[in-house]
Amino acid sequence: MYQIGRVCLKIAGRDAGKKCVIIDVINTHYVMIDGETRRRKCNVKHLEPLGTVLKVTKNAPRTEVVRLFKTLNIELKETKPKKKTERPKKLRKKKIKPAKQPTDKTSGEEEKKIKQIKEAQAPISSEKPRK
Amino acid sequence: MPRPRYRSRSLRRIQKKTPGGKTKQIYKKRKPKTHKCAECGAELKGIPRLSPAKAKNSPKTKKRPERPYGGFLCSKCAREKLKKEARLEHESTH
Repeated sequence: MYQIGRVCLKIAGRDAGKKCVIIDVINTHYVMIDGETRRRKCNVKHLEPLGTVLKVTKNAPRTEVVRLFKTLNIELKETKPKKKTERPKKLRKKKIKPAKQPTDKTSGEEEKKIKQIKEAQAPISSEKPRK
Repeated sequence: MPRPRYRSRSLRRIQKKTPGGKTKQIYKKRKPKTHKCAECGAELKGIPRLSPAKAKNSPKTKKRPERPYGGFLCSKCAREKLKKEARLEHESTH
């Protein structure tokens, strides 16, 4: 009963009440279907076989199924495969460090020398004034 | 004596323990009945027991299964109905 090309009515699930055709028999319980329903694996318990049998090749492409359903006066929606779009990658925000100013060794030494001279010249404030 | 509005039995009475250890009676609205299959009377799955006000604001897809006769017939009865329809159609064409 459930051979390739048999037109069936889906009686369970969200595709219930829609017609489909068997395009492959997986085992005694499961078949592949396509048509008004989505192209999917299906339990034969969820199908009601109808009288008509179409000439479908095994694992027929969608275009063939659409053409054959036109003979039954059923127009199917032509679905295009989704274009793969790359996910926008999340980039870590890098903190921009302020660039270090180059220090000259020579200038640093000079500054030290100037400091030392100043300290020597300045009066020592830590000493307490005598009474 | 309870307050006059709580004297009617339209509200549910629930015994609840307070944090202090006492039991107190609180009043709550009754839940609506479950939806039943129109053919066999079985409880319908996938239909929430919402009050009309809440059901009004919730989306249609959350209130019934997405199949023909969803929310009206149970899945078994819907299958039988679809089968019958298909067979009748087959008989009428041949």
